Amino acid sequence: MDRRNFLQKMGPLGALAAISVPALAGDTEPVRASGHPPPYLREGDYIGITCPAGAIDQRDARYSEVMLERWGFKTRFGSTIGRRWQQFGGTDAERAADFQQMLDDPNLKAILFGRGGYGSMRIMDKLNWDAFKKNPKWLIGYSDITAFHCHVSRCFGIPTIHSRMAGGFGSQEDQSEISLRNTLFGKPIQYEWETTTFNRPGKTQGILVGGNLSLIYAMQASISELDTDGKILFIEDVSEYKYTVDRMLINLKRSGKLDNLKGLIVGGFTSIKKEDIAYFTMSIEEIIYEKVMEFDYPVCFNFPGGHQQPNLALKLGMAYELEAIVSIAKLTEVRNAFPNPPLPFIDSIAIPHSPSSNL
Amino acid sequence: MILKTPPYLKKGDTIGLICPAGFMPAENTTVCIETLKKWGFNVEVGKTVGHQSHYFSGEDAERLQDLQDMLDDPSVCAILCARGGYGCSRIVDEINWNAFRKNPKWLIGFSDITVFNNHLYQKLKTSSIHGPMAGAFHKAGGEDAYILTLRKALSGRKMSYKTEPHGMNKFGKVSGPLVGGNLSILAHLVGTPSFPDTKDCLLFLEDVGEYLYNVDRMLLQLDRAGKLHHLGGLIIGGFSDCKDTVVGFGKNIYEIIQNRVAPYSFPVAYGFPVSHEKENVALKIGVVHHLQVTKSGVVLREAK
Repeated sequence: MDRRNFLQKMGPLGALAAISVPALAGDTEPVRASGHPPPYLREGDYIGITCPAGAIDQRDARYSEVMLERWGFKTRFGSTIGRRWQQFGGTDAERAADFQQMLDDPNLKAILFGRGGYGSMRIMDKLNWDAFKKNPKWLIGYSDITAFHCHVSRCFGIPTIHSRMAGGFGSQEDQSEISLRNTLFGKPIQYEWETTTFNRPGKTQGILVGGNLSLIYAMQASISELDTDGKILFIEDVSEYKYTVDRMLINLKRSGKLDNLKGLIVGGFTSIKKEDIAYFTMSIEEIIYEKVMEFDYPVCFNFPGGHQQPNLALKLGMAYELEAIVSIAKLTEVRNAFPNPPLPFIDSIAIPHSPSSNL
Repeated sequence: MILKTPPYLKKGDTIGLICPAGFMPAENTTVCIETLKKWGFNVEVGKTVGHQSHYFSGEDAERLQDLQDMLDDPSVCAILCARGGYGCSRIVDEINWNAFRKNPKWLIGFSDITVFNNHLYQKLKTSSIHGPMAGAFHKAGGEDAYILTLRKALSGRKMSYKTEPHGMNKFGKVSGPLVGGNLSILAHLVGTPSFPDTKDCLLFLEDVGEYLYNVDRMLLQLDRAGKLHHLGGLIIGGFSDCKDTVVGFGKNIYEIIQNRVAPYSFPVAYGFPVSHEKENVALKIGVVHHLQVTKSGVVLREAK
């Protein structure tokens, strides 16, 4: 009997008991239900800004403060803004406490992260998500923040926003910021972009998951491991060697993460480093396409997201229709779509407001 | 688990030399070939040695075929990988192990070869050697003490290593199977069928050219995947040419490791001679070893 059948036969209590054990790799079933977004924002709502990873100066956060206020929000700077411990926005304990306080504060409707870098993973297991699960709010960021996207997707199925962060805001509103503003106010996502000829045409629907490839990779086999089965996977990365990109994708492939995708969206792979000795001559498109060649789901490149301009906001954990044709792709949010596989007991505890929610 | 140990080598036995990953010029293997012959072995040079397909020592299919031929050839008693680089995991799932299962043979290498070392242990319950490759012979010469540990390992004699005390060592005595290798490759194997079950094992780690933050991230990855929780002991080798970010990480490599394993009580030995430098001894993967970390130093000894 496989584990899932076992859990279903045990009934809800059994499933709860099995899942609430502090878990290592393989001890948790991924949450398959998604699509219940945190409340969208209204003018006057509060957004917290915190640095769970790399440090930013107060000055660097100022643009985001001004712009968010121009959009009609109120902002609250966490204690980690302007703080520095080594390359981090404070010690692990300080960063965890600042983020925790924002997760727990019912007045904050969203948390915008200061920047990526490195460090989210170092505080992940210090966080208590109970209040967040009861009152989900939007978590906004990318790059190293993908650690949280993966964890929240895998463990709670609550949507998050992949987008530019506080440290990246400028004085003039650009496309990336407009896309974030629209997303926060609840405007459904609809993007169309020019792709490369490597596209594998097709049309598909599924829940979007993913983010930075290095971080998806770093979550493998942990409690935060991304569940990609039946999902549309989005990947982007920056400043990696081509062979490292190849190696990370081989890891995803060998662990079955690419087998059952509904579709693949590739964002920016920017500032790719050159090998010293003999060049890895495959292009990034070739490296990626090679890993999914044997499957038949749609694949599209060149999504304007990642470490690049623009970096359009994406709601992860929500359902989309993806259509790839020869040189154009379209990603359209599907409203009221909950394409869940039949997993009644596990799904029931994934609903954020459920009183039995005890993950 | 019952570990299969391939037959040790005798004079006149044949060692196959291949490049299953990165490209290596043929002239860099001559010292290695001459030394192996001097030790009394015949050397069968594979088609991938000196062969180049851009970054790799041949296309995936060519590298796979060369390794497959050596695995299937009953006259080849051991396979020495000339170089690591990158490429083993691109072919590991395509290998047919049927002949190898019937006639296991020693596979030798480190760095990217860590893929095979751990795959053989986890999936085929067979020991292999983590040890010097052709590049090390080329640089140090065949008489080098570290190179000679490979000769000893192949002969079937029990291995025993002593190192000087290190100020950060955590004392303890423990026995368990030896697993590990290159940290980047172990992180690369997490979540795949090739990652070794590390429970009660002695895990050894080395790496080269990584950013400090990335070493921290990889250790955290192993930890969060539960791979450090039930270790018997930890053996830390060299982490050469590590890089730092513009804003420094603020800790050196050994401090990063020490911090990461601080919650655990198993013994930890730092400064063990396993690395991308000259100091790289032959280690038999999967074989039970005794590890003693005391104030007088570290002893790693193959169990009787």
